[in-house]
Amino acid sequence: MPERRKLDTGVPWLELDTTDDDWRAADPALLATMLGEIQLIRSFEETVLDLAGAGLVHGPAHSSIGQEGGAVGSIVGLRSSDAVNGSHRGHHQFLAKAITHVAGGRLDLGELVTDDLQAMLQRTLAEILGLAQGFSGGRGGSMHLQWLEAGALGTNAIVGGGAPLAGGNGWAQKFAGTDDVSVNYFGDGSSQIGSVLESMNLAATWKTPLLFFIENNLYAVSTHAREASADPRFSVRAQGFSIPAWRVDGMNPLAVHLATREAVDLMRAGEGPAVIEAEVYRFFHQNGPFPGSAFGYRTKDEEKTWRVRDPLVLMGQKMQELGYATEAEIAAVKDQAKQAMADAVRALVEDDPEREGKRRIIPALWPDTNWVDTGIRSDASELEGLSAVEPTEAGGEWRDVKFVDAVAQVMDRRMELDERIVVLGEDVHNLGGGTNGATKGLAEKYGPQRVVGTPISENAFFGFATGAALDGRIRPVVEFMYPDFMWVAADQVFNQAGKARHMFGNNNDVPLVLRTKVAMGSGYGSQHLMDPAGIFATAPGWRIVAASNAADYVGLMNAALALEDPVLVIEHMMQYGSADRVPADDLDYIIPPGSAAVRRTGSEVTVLTYLKMVEHTLEAIEQTGIDAEVVDLRWLDRASIDWATIESSIMKTNAVVIVEQGSRGPSYGAWLADEIQRRCFDWLDQPVARVTGGEASPSISKVLERAAIAGTEEVVAGLEAVRAAWGGN
Amino acid sequence: MAIVVRMPEIATGSAEAAIASWLVAVGDDVSEGQEIVEIETEKATVEYSAEQSGVVAGILLDAGSSATVGTPIVVLATGGQSADDALAEAGVGSEAAAAPEAPSPPESAQEESAPVPSDEAPAPSTPPMNEPDAGLALTVPEAPGGERLFASPLVRKLARERGIDLTRIHGTGPNGRIVRRDIDGSQAAPATAAATVETPAASTTRTETRDEPTRSPDAATDYIDVPHTGMRRAIARRLTESKSTVPHFYLVAECRMDDLLALRKQINSIEGIQISVNDFIVKAVAGALRDVPDANAIWTDDATRRFTGIDISVAVSIPGGLLTPVVRGVEKLSLGQLGETIRDLATRAREGRLKQHELEGGSFSVSNLGMYGTSEFSAILNPPQAGILAVGAAEPRPVVQEDGSLGIATVMTVTLSADHRVLDGALAAEWLAAFTKRIEHPMSILV
Repeated sequence: MPERRKLDTGVPWLELDTTDDDWRAADPALLATMLGEIQLIRSFEETVLDLAGAGLVHGPAHSSIGQEGGAVGSIVGLRSSDAVNGSHRGHHQFLAKAITHVAGGRLDLGELVTDDLQAMLQRTLAEILGLAQGFSGGRGGSMHLQWLEAGALGTNAIVGGGAPLAGGNGWAQKFAGTDDVSVNYFGDGSSQIGSVLESMNLAATWKTPLLFFIENNLYAVSTHAREASADPRFSVRAQGFSIPAWRVDGMNPLAVHLATREAVDLMRAGEGPAVIEAEVYRFFHQNGPFPGSAFGYRTKDEEKTWRVRDPLVLMGQKMQELGYATEAEIAAVKDQAKQAMADAVRALVEDDPEREGKRRIIPALWPDTNWVDTGIRSDASELEGLSAVEPTEAGGEWRDVKFVDAVAQVMDRRMELDERIVVLGEDVHNLGGGTNGATKGLAEKYGPQRVVGTPISENAFFGFATGAALDGRIRPVVEFMYPDFMWVAADQVFNQAGKARHMFGNNNDVPLVLRTKVAMGSGYGSQHLMDPAGIFATAPGWRIVAASNAADYVGLMNAALALEDPVLVIEHMMQYGSADRVPADDLDYIIPPGSAAVRRTGSEVTVLTYLKMVEHTLEAIEQTGIDAEVVDLRWLDRASIDWATIESSIMKTNAVVIVEQGSRGPSYGAWLADEIQRRCFDWLDQPVARVTGGEASPSISKVLERAAIAGTEEVVAGLEAVRAAWGGN
Repeated sequence: MAIVVRMPEIATGSAEAAIASWLVAVGDDVSEGQEIVEIETEKATVEYSAEQSGVVAGILLDAGSSATVGTPIVVLATGGQSADDALAEAGVGSEAAAAPEAPSPPESAQEESAPVPSDEAPAPSTPPMNEPDAGLALTVPEAPGGERLFASPLVRKLARERGIDLTRIHGTGPNGRIVRRDIDGSQAAPATAAATVETPAASTTRTETRDEPTRSPDAATDYIDVPHTGMRRAIARRLTESKSTVPHFYLVAECRMDDLLALRKQINSIEGIQISVNDFIVKAVAGALRDVPDANAIWTDDATRRFTGIDISVAVSIPGGLLTPVVRGVEKLSLGQLGETIRDLATRAREGRLKQHELEGGSFSVSNLGMYGTSEFSAILNPPQAGILAVGAAEPRPVVQEDGSLGIATVMTVTLSADHRVLDGALAAEWLAAFTKRIEHPMSILV
């Protein structure tokens, strides 16, 4: 018989409920404030449903009616410098944070709605209606509510997408030496998704002051919690990550408040994250003004049993029982909230003069549609004042260096001068500078706070980096060991980091650098050998650089680190070991966006290329004897590409070939060819030609890998095809 | 039912025309015979009328744009049809209606018959009306026989700028496509194109101006490039073709003008009548053509075409070029009527209001530079005409009089340029003698 011992995680998992003593002990002003906040949220949500029913809310209106107790109980005790974010059902969390901020944590029930509060309610409603005066100019709407001043980081329409971002915010709060905390609200539906679980692991490991607040309302749209998980007490997750957890009745705002106070005390004391699961119930369906029973996935009887636990009713009863308010006073609270919402609506909506009995948005309040594509990236004005130098033209002394050492040296230089820069990624702190030596010497010099080895969970650590970048007190430099790993982090990379600035109305900088290396030729096979440039070029918000030599790398990395945008820095594994050179006395210059480099002037064809293919192209030109002009693009994204250089070259040569190494499907040249044929149509004497790899991702087998990618021979063939199309024979 | 109106063949044999302005807008009711668009050819602006009634569903070619003959330019909806339906029926989307469809490459068999230079180019055929898409892609000229002609975008642009006729170029690019190397050196490239290519600016592709003169890039080479107008190109093309393909020969005669001038003075003394010397000359040309009817002829590929009526072109100098409106039935006009007709045509020529038919036809031209003091000159034939009379100034010159003594007379030198394919030397001389006789006996002009 083997011996068996029961194991224990050693961290608490508690259920918390209030007693009559707790209610009597509670500060009357706290109870009054919770009642006032719940009433304001309830009236706000009823107004939204009314406007949705009138067809005035474009898109879904995810009502939080019934769930207000959880948000108000947990937020009412927070500081403005504490932060929250939430999910698609986030009005109540946003409003609780915004009201608490505006009211300084205390509402006066006799004068519930101050001018500042009224203005905030109107702005929030305007945002939900998609109007210019909203917090994000109407771009965010119901599911992307952000007010940074109040500590509302922005709600998120991707289930679980907010967890890593809140984690990053908590990381930045801690990094900056504060005892502020961050709270991520999510539901039973999000409790299964990887980004939440990865974030729990990362926060616990890093002792991040992050509260995972689960609003368990039992239904993910129509799917019951029991259908989604073997144990629907979702706070059980915390046990797996060594996080203390509380389970509490979310219809009881005081219980939630007390649980949160215990959790936040631990977090402020530096003990790391906590989990609170609040059992709540949404009285309506996923969205719109009908109850869930109308859709057949739950019964009217079930809804009735929850209705009687309405947190608004509970707060009113307790206030009367404790003698803090009369029935009439509580009714007056409701009247004030309703009046405030009626006033907000009147400022935004009017009778439709063309449709009797219908209302419409006041036309002048819509955003200017010229605004549709503005603020996707920063305007790059942050680069003004930096020294823009073309290294080959600077005329100074040179210093020999291995390419990969230049990577580490420029990072060292920047970290020395900017304490906000933090490097993170898998193994970047070990192995003498990561798997390739690109972070050599940094861990020793800057320590584990600024050179952070991560678990293998790209979605979480990239998302933490994004959250920290949005905060701004950390300027993260993330390494993806191989570019293909972007797919496991795709939500955070493309949906979050890339879109955040524009989606929230250009209120947020996103100073973040993502380094990765193209590894074609290394034999790592189908899942490691892509060139990410083409995929990132399709993603709004990102900038992309790729250097063909060490001196360019220095200038491009310096620009990337100075920009307030997410910038992808593409390196190539085959560059790392090569002997290269950098200016002897200068690691501080930048090569700004819009600076392509002409590597060879020529008259017969323009070659547009980047990274390692610049070298292959120059070799191929020597072999063919074609008088080609080679443009090393350096900046690859739509906003940063150097059209002036490209267009003037094509006007001269009347032929263009785009050269890249990787497979054709996700290739970079597709969008560029599309732009060129439109911009330069009248200057082209033949179709835009392209050199790429094959369709398949490169295989492990050495000969198959070579056959799958483009090298000097393929560029020669591409140039010869261009020559054949010249005619004249 | 949708009615597709196509770019009409305004001038005989013209391959291309441009929209000067639209006289209707989308949504307008159009009745049969209503003028809907002003179309500009190389020489004239024509008001073009609807042939059927309908509602304008979509305008496919903007004012200022040109297209080959046969290209759909506007779609009319009839019978209560919606604009979208009409456009759909016409094979045109409601948006980007003029976007050309990508042409499919020719089969290899067709490559053999790819465009070859030909002097026998028949008029381009108009695409049949029942193929709505046929005209849309044709922003390039058609090859002889109406086949699609393939040229790279750059070549099309350069051909426009340099006035190169692509039907005469053999394409050596893929699938017989005409590429840059095929037209390099095919015609002296105007400095405009060369200068732009050498000093490209990022914005040139989008803002390139066709109408503004281009200054020389530095002070050392002082010139200004004036971009070609359609008329300039037409003059260049037609006269180059005439001078290099028509066998010209020249006969010179001196005409004593004193009697004519005296007669003119006498006529002009009548209140309200104003006859110019040129009117007399044109009338005398008509008389000479009546005297020598064999000279009233032109060359065609199959026959010498003799005319019964006498239509004479009069060269009119206008800003930026030259027009040759035709006076019809000169033999039937009185001197006064002829003078009025010429003055009307000249006025409207300068105002750009000539109709295309007023520029076509005629067997003979008169070009008069006498008012500039030019003593004598020779002119290039105005194809397909077989004769042109170059008229110098009437000026006092020493002459040998009938009695053998020297005297002074008013003398005018005229030079006949003749197409030897039609007029032999003797016939031309006979005609020139008839003309001189009429001028020197001016009463014969009046009768």
